[in-house]
Amino acid sequence: MENLALLWGIIGPGVSGAVFGAGWWFWVDAVVCSAVQVSFLHYLPGIFASLAALMFNAVNKDEIGYDYYSPYGDDSEWRVKLWLFVAYVVSFVCLAGSVGLLVQDALTDKGPSVWTGVAGVLQCVLVLISGLIYWTCHSED
Amino acid sequence: MARSMRTCLHSGRLALLAILVSGGIVLQILACALYNNWWPMLTVLMYLMLPMPLIFFLGSSSPSMMSNEGDGWVNFTKFLTGASVVGSIAIPSILKHAGVIGWGALSMELSSFIVFGVAILWLIQMNGEDEYSSAF
Repeated sequence: MENLALLWGIIGPGVSGAVFGAGWWFWVDAVVCSAVQVSFLHYLPGIFASLAALMFNAVNKDEIGYDYYSPYGDDSEWRVKLWLFVAYVVSFVCLAGSVGLLVQDALTDKGPSVWTGVAGVLQCVLVLISGLIYWTCHSED
Repeated sequence: MARSMRTCLHSGRLALLAILVSGGIVLQILACALYNNWWPMLTVLMYLMLPMPLIFFLGSSSPSMMSNEGDGWVNFTKFLTGASVVGSIAIPSILKHAGVIGWGALSMELSSFIVFGVAILWLIQMNGEDEYSSAF
């Protein structure tokens, strides 16, 4: 079990990068192979998901401990929690938005194809998972 | 093993490594030249990013890549390596999916990627061996 944790610390960031790349490359594929011009609205869930992944990795894990003494005073825990909360809200809104766009693409014939919608959902999910994986790696030390 | 034998073997391995890398480059260029379609050269962008952790951390005395050290920049370069590995598989696949290149070019691109991967893994292993023997 201990070996697994060590191995994860070594290859974890690489796996996270691979998943992140996979998410974005699926989206590039959908945009390239789409018969119609994909509007900017469809790009938004992916962009905000990447932003959310960046946001919750920017947090120093020590700061949410119980006896952390910060230079801002004793009650600054709420800032970190607010930051994390906003990151979670953004990520869930992206997921919901991409699923909504998928349903809309599946129903109409005139807009982007179903593959665009599916790729959008895949992109959102994979980017968020990649953020989570990176989060688990850098807290190993 | 006698010292001269060891250095001979070492330079032999380096020569084989160089042959592997040039083989990979040849495959990459052939994938474009044989079909007179220069789109697959985009993959070269990804190949530039791939050996980044090696370049940055090969000569440094700080903890190597194979350790569990959580230094921020080491993690970030590993992240870039992972992304460029996926990117070098993804770019030829997207080009094939969009109909820009054919199956032959795709298979050459993918085999060039495998050759580069083997070469880099071998280089990492050789570097690890060097550290072990120099402490000896």
